Order: sequence, then structure tokens, then C-alpha cells
Amino acid sequence: VTRAPIVAGVLPILARATPAAAAIAVFGALYGAGARDVLGAPLTLASSLLVFSGALQFALVALVAAGAPPAALLAMAVALNLRHLVLGAVLRARLGGSRWRRARLAFFLLDETFGFAIAEGNAAEREGRPVAAAMARTVQVSGGLCYTAWQAGTLVGVLGAGVASMERVAAAIFPVLFIGLAALAASRPSHAVRAVAAAALTAAIAIGLPELRVIAPIAAGVVVALPGDRG
Amino acid sequence: MSSLLLAAIALVTYGSRVAALALLPRPGPRIEAVLSRMPAPIFAGLATVTLVTGDGALVGGPILGAAIGALLATPARSLLACLLAGGAGYAVAALAG
Repeated sequence: VTRAPIVAGVLPILARATPAAAAIAVFGALYGAGARDVLGAPLTLASSLLVFSGALQFALVALVAAGAPPAALLAMAVALNLRHLVLGAVLRARLGGSRWRRARLAFFLLDETFGFAIAEGNAAEREGRPVAAAMARTVQVSGGLCYTAWQAGTLVGVLGAGVASMERVAAAIFPVLFIGLAALAASRPSHAVRAVAAAALTAAIAIGLPELRVIAPIAAGVVVALPGDRG
Repeated sequence: MSSLLLAAIALVTYGSRVAALALLPRPGPRIEAVLSRMPAPIFAGLATVTLVTGDGALVGGPILGAAIGALLATPARSLLACLLAGGAGYAVAALAG
């Protein structure tokens, strides 16, 4: 089996995922720098290695710093991770392979890798390529890249390197990335209408109930997807 | 935070990821139809939530400029076009601010 087609399939995924990975590295460094004083260096590094969830890890550090009890930390983990059930269900519908293989891919299930996989699945469908294989490879490659970036960033932050000046640029990558992925995923006019409705609903929740902002996109996505298409 | 608690949180996180992706049965056709309509709205929601701060306020000008630039590029339905337009929007808003 020649490795050339495999490499050729991996390079475009790496190219698409690199801006997101760069932003993740910057936030990893911010996390490492902030968490080091609260958790200590070993637990900070271990948290990134084992949990690999930026939103949850930042929230945990804030709770620990505020003196929250273990039950509150676990409750926060459950609440913030609920969105994975929806993301996983959407991917599961199009992802084949053995249960063991899907279980390995699950570790890399992030908002970003979910987005890259959906976009690649749509592209594969249009081009007549096997959809499930393309999506699985995308989760694996983009997930590995994002994981490496998060670990490297955390280590840099723990070691005390200053990256605060890059925070704004990194923060701008995420809305741009998700807008681009929404455009790619909206394969019908009705999808675009639902996307606008979800954006409005998410904004209303995030502004009116800021404490629910992390689960707002998934909740809005579920609500606007429920009504069927006309005709 | 203890090592044991960290391990429990890691387990909860991985459990939530693996549950729908590998443990639960494949959803039926009606559920799959609903799921197929979710990606674009979820991405739109994720983009929106990155534009609102934890206090419920809008983010600063350059980030908003980047989002507007990317929005203008959406008819091209290209991730690269959105990234480039987002970068241009960020630069314009930063210079204007």
C-alpha cells in the first residue's frame, strides 16, 4: 500500500486546521499561565493531557480559585459536556467503522474537529468519495493537531512565556472559523435560514443569560433543527 | 483540586464524547433527519457566542470586524475566503479603531 494517497489526504486537513490549532495554542498558553498558580504545574499539565477541553478547563480554574467544592466542579463538567452528546449524535449518523474505532476518535471530539469533519463529509459527498472514511480521517488528523497545539500551549504557559498580546488575534479566529464552517454546512437555503435563527437565539441567550452561554449554541441548534423542511 | 477529582472530570468528559459517538445505537431515520439539519445552526451559534463576552456584552471592534468580513465572504462558501476576509475585516477595524 503506497503512503502517497494517505499523505495527500492528510495535508489538506492539516492546512484547514492549522489556523484553529494556532489559536488553540495561544489559548493553551493563557490557560497554562493562569492555571499554574491555582492548580500547580503538574495538575495543570495533567488537566490538558486528560481533559482536553478549553472551555471546561478555564471554568474549572475559576471555580477552584473561588474555593468551590468538588461536587460543583463535577456538576460544571457535566453541564459543559452535554453538548458532546449532540455533536456526537450528529457525527455518529454519518460516521461508520467499528465501535472501538469510533471510541478512539471520540477523544478528539471538539467544536472545531466536529466542524472540520462535517465540512469534509459534505465535500466528499459532492465529489463522490467515501464520506465516513473522509470524516473519520478529518477527526483524527485535525484532532491530533489541535491536541498537540493545546499541550504545547499549556506547556508554554506553565513555563511562564507571555502570549497575552496575541489573545485578541487568536480570539478573532474562532468566529471567522465558525462562520466559514456554517457557510460550508448550509447546503440548502433552509439551512441558511435556520443558521440565522440559531444565531439570533444564541445571541439572546448569551446576552440575557450569560451563565448559559456555553450551551447556548447547541440548544439553539437543536431548537431550530426540529421543524421539518416544507415540501 | 485532587488528582482523583481530575481523573473523574476527565472520565466525565470522555464519557460524554464517547456516549453518542460509539456507545449509543445509531439514531433512526427521523432523528437523523433532525440531526442533518443541525450543523449549520450549531456553527452559526458557536460563531455568535464567540462575539459575546461573559458579561453579555459585544466583543471589541477588531473581532467584530473579522466576523463581518467573514460574513461578507459566506456566499463564496469557502473556508479560505472566509479566513482571508476575516483577516481583512480585522485589519480594517483595528486601523479604524
